[in-house]
Amino acid sequence: MAYALFDRAIPAPAVPVAMKVVVAGGFAVGKTTFVGSISEIEPLKTEAEMTVESLGVDNPGPVEGKRGTTVAMDFGRITISTDMVLYLFGTPGQDRFWFLWDELVRGAVGGVVLVDTRRIEDCFPAVDYFEGTGLPFVVAVNLFDSVSTHHPREVREALSIPANVPIVLCDARRRTHVQETLVLLVESALRRAQGVA
Amino acid sequence: MTGPGEPRRSDPPRLVRPYVVTGGRTAAVGPPLALDAIVRALTDGHELDLTSGPEPRRIVQLCAVPVSVAELAARMMLPIGVMRVLVGDLDAVGAVDVIVAPSQTATDSRLLRRLLDGIRAL
Repeated sequence: MAYALFDRAIPAPAVPVAMKVVVAGGFAVGKTTFVGSISEIEPLKTEAEMTVESLGVDNPGPVEGKRGTTVAMDFGRITISTDMVLYLFGTPGQDRFWFLWDELVRGAVGGVVLVDTRRIEDCFPAVDYFEGTGLPFVVAVNLFDSVSTHHPREVREALSIPANVPIVLCDARRRTHVQETLVLLVESALRRAQGVA
Repeated sequence: MTGPGEPRRSDPPRLVRPYVVTGGRTAAVGPPLALDAIVRALTDGHELDLTSGPEPRRIVQLCAVPVSVAELAARMMLPIGVMRVLVGDLDAVGAVDVIVAPSQTATDSRLLRRLLDGIRAL
């Protein structure tokens, strides 16, 4: 192996199984808060660039023409056990970054769609997206202060959410709420994996 | 969890444009790395050629405990595209190892059960 080149090679540490959940929703719906409430690291912003990544070969040509704007994604981590880690990726809100979603959802356990009932239409694209991918997802209605909340049933009707998609009221600032939302999602994914749903 | 020497949010913006650290390259040596691919160090980084900057050694140090490409990028405040190039270089010389999670982990009920138990126990 190539690393024999290094005379100070260290024993390779064990690599945990990485699981991934995608947190989606409209702009400023609370994705960063949601990730931050449960992540063991401060939510990090990862920048991805709006360039075509897979041109195939090393391209030493001028960089300038290929650079696009950067887009920030939220990123959090939860150590589940010594051999399993869960990553949370908060998607960029705007539609034009959907090419990133395709990468984010590949191999994901599922998605959480955060909904602000004051701007319920903002979550339509995310709901449509997850329905299109067939990935398990839950709808989490974010509870903001001083906002009369809607009953989950009303949200379900407004979004035409099928019965097998859980809807939960969730204060994204509260760790237990976020935890419960993730439990619902993984339960849903588990039922799917076992062919129950 | 903030590691030693890690940039803080309040640090001034970097003065070097991101792709300078890759020598202008925007594509990685190998196949494209997934955001959640796990990188682990196979060396302590002392042998690395630092003529192009301190980044390769920092990466190797940060992934002494295996971390994802996304986390490396975030911790070093480098765009994902830059990190992919740098990790690809380190992988090519054998300084790190890149482990891509098999996509069926997301539908493996045994793993999902463990994940569920783990989240409940948080």
